[in-house]
Amino acid sequence: MSNIRDLLGVASSGLTAKLTRTLLIMLGPIIGVSAIVAAVGLTESAKGDLQQTLSQLGTNLIKAEAAGSFGTQDPTFPEDVVVRVESLSTVESATAVINIAGVVTSPYSAADSYYTAFPIPVIAADSAFLDVMDVGLVSGRWINSFDVSTAGRAAVIGAGLADEFAYIPGTERTISVGGFKYGVVGVMDRVVLEPTLDNAVVISPQAADRDFDTGLEATTLYVRSDPSQTLVTEAALPVAINLGGNEEVNTSVPTDALESAAAADTTLQAIVALMGGLALVVGGVGIANVMSISVIQRSSEIGIRRALGHGRGLIAGQFMLESVVVGLFGGMAGAGVGSLVVAFVSRSRGWVVVLRPGLLLMGVAAAIGVSVLAGLYPSTKAARLEPLETLRLG
Amino acid sequence: MSAEPLLRLDNVSRIYGDEVQVHALDGVSLTIESGEFVSIVGPSGSGKSTMLGLLGLLDLPSLGELWVTGAAVSELTDAERSRLRGDVVGFVFQQFHLIPYLDARRNVETALLYRGLSSSARRRLAMNALERIGLADRADHRPVQLSGGEQQRVAIARAIVTDPALILADEPTGALDSTNAANVMEIFRGLHSPERAVAIVTHDPAVAASAGRRISMRDGKIVADEIVRRGDAGSAFGGTLGDPSATSTSGTLS
Repeated sequence: MSNIRDLLGVASSGLTAKLTRTLLIMLGPIIGVSAIVAAVGLTESAKGDLQQTLSQLGTNLIKAEAAGSFGTQDPTFPEDVVVRVESLSTVESATAVINIAGVVTSPYSAADSYYTAFPIPVIAADSAFLDVMDVGLVSGRWINSFDVSTAGRAAVIGAGLADEFAYIPGTERTISVGGFKYGVVGVMDRVVLEPTLDNAVVISPQAADRDFDTGLEATTLYVRSDPSQTLVTEAALPVAINLGGNEEVNTSVPTDALESAAAADTTLQAIVALMGGLALVVGGVGIANVMSISVIQRSSEIGIRRALGHGRGLIAGQFMLESVVVGLFGGMAGAGVGSLVVAFVSRSRGWVVVLRPGLLLMGVAAAIGVSVLAGLYPSTKAARLEPLETLRLG
Repeated sequence: MSAEPLLRLDNVSRIYGDEVQVHALDGVSLTIESGEFVSIVGPSGSGKSTMLGLLGLLDLPSLGELWVTGAAVSELTDAERSRLRGDVVGFVFQQFHLIPYLDARRNVETALLYRGLSSSARRRLAMNALERIGLADRADHRPVQLSGGEQQRVAIARAIVTDPALILADEPTGALDSTNAANVMEIFRGLHSPERAVAIVTHDPAVAASAGRRISMRDGKIVADEIVRRGDAGSAFGGTLGDPSATSTSGTLS
């Protein structure tokens, strides 16, 4: 045991003798471990944040789009689609939406050509829309029963469009929808699950039917399912909508898209972690290289120590320990730097920092493992030096 | 106390090379008892350095056997040989061979590592050794901050700090001016005691004359092994330098 204590002293004085060189070879494990910790830590923090977002959004929203039978143009759902869907026991609520195609919507007549090229989506929605989408209003009001009964030209715009439109709450605004002037009565908050709605104009189905002759048949349906039965509901929706007809229905769960986007992020971070591992290995090669040169430079020191009675094992142990100390401190510094990166990035994105102690320990252990491998060659070489040759007697 | 001599070479040869064999030592038999002060002299290539490597347990005989305090060296493992070397032998080299990045005290302490000593005990022993050679006040100086003579004295402190039975020196004054050389030789004479043998490999007749026994080598063989009396320093000087064969006529020690 006292041998190990003595070895530690010898290794540390050897390392501090050439401090700059020691710090330089420490860079390898520092960069490698910090990249691994940062990549894995960020992946986990992002995943934790996604879980939080998903639990807030609810993963039970299902979107169904009418696809019609083969060759149908502008397919729609039956008029009583909401009633049909709500008859399913696993459905909590549903709202029907009409996508109005081919209508140029423009806040200013001067901008008509721009908005012809980049159309603003116009939809007609009912009073259940806000509840089912779980979205609120930034300002103003939703389309009310008066608007519905009179087919009044009232519009609610998405928050994105309101920014573009420079909408100021309380200021009277109109927007030209297919040449008809609609009064903007409210601004809808951003809809994380359906980002296209951010730039949409929402009007009542009655106004849409009167001004654009859409009829009252919906093109899109949003359904909230019993959270534990989302898959069952998604599978049952086409049957409930069609009642045995041959109309096609496309269903999707919007949160799935978020999850797969996050999975794509994970791939990127796995690549970063892999490159961190690569940096660690290259760092190990660097340690092996520098230590081998150091063994040659210190051959006379090795001869002296052998002459003083230190056996080959202790000489090998001295150089192995120097390598391990570089790996240990480099790994710890790297874990620290990586943690700082995770904390900094997570904070800037408003994530909760997820840093498992196991990840940090694993990073340090990887650095030590690499440094042990790196130390094998130089320490063996040091142990094999013949003191008679390095001391140049006589 | 064992009746075994400190060192005993029994018909030892050291042969280098496989196809072309060089007999650096050729059938040498020699005994060194504790308390002796021996010089080993001879021209370059005579086998002095090979002898030094063997006596210092840094090398093994190709043929024959070397006994150190009764132990047959070729039967020891490398670790056992290292331990025996650390316990029995203290080295002093021509080029001092201090570790450049350690101060004087820590250089001396290097000889005390891996012996289960506490760091305070190590420090105390090292300071004692430095005091003995009069350099306690330079304990925190690194080798580059010391003169050649001082470096060699630190090396001597390192050699004696383990209280070895044999001090083995290789041209200890070869890199020093005459004043420092005389100073170092004075220390060597002081190290020699009934319990401790000193063996010096040297070219320098004046150094050899300090020793009580002079072993002359040539071509891997001992050509003379004689007792030098203190008063004879001057005559030994002339004899050895001029004609080695002449010295072999004076009585050899069996």
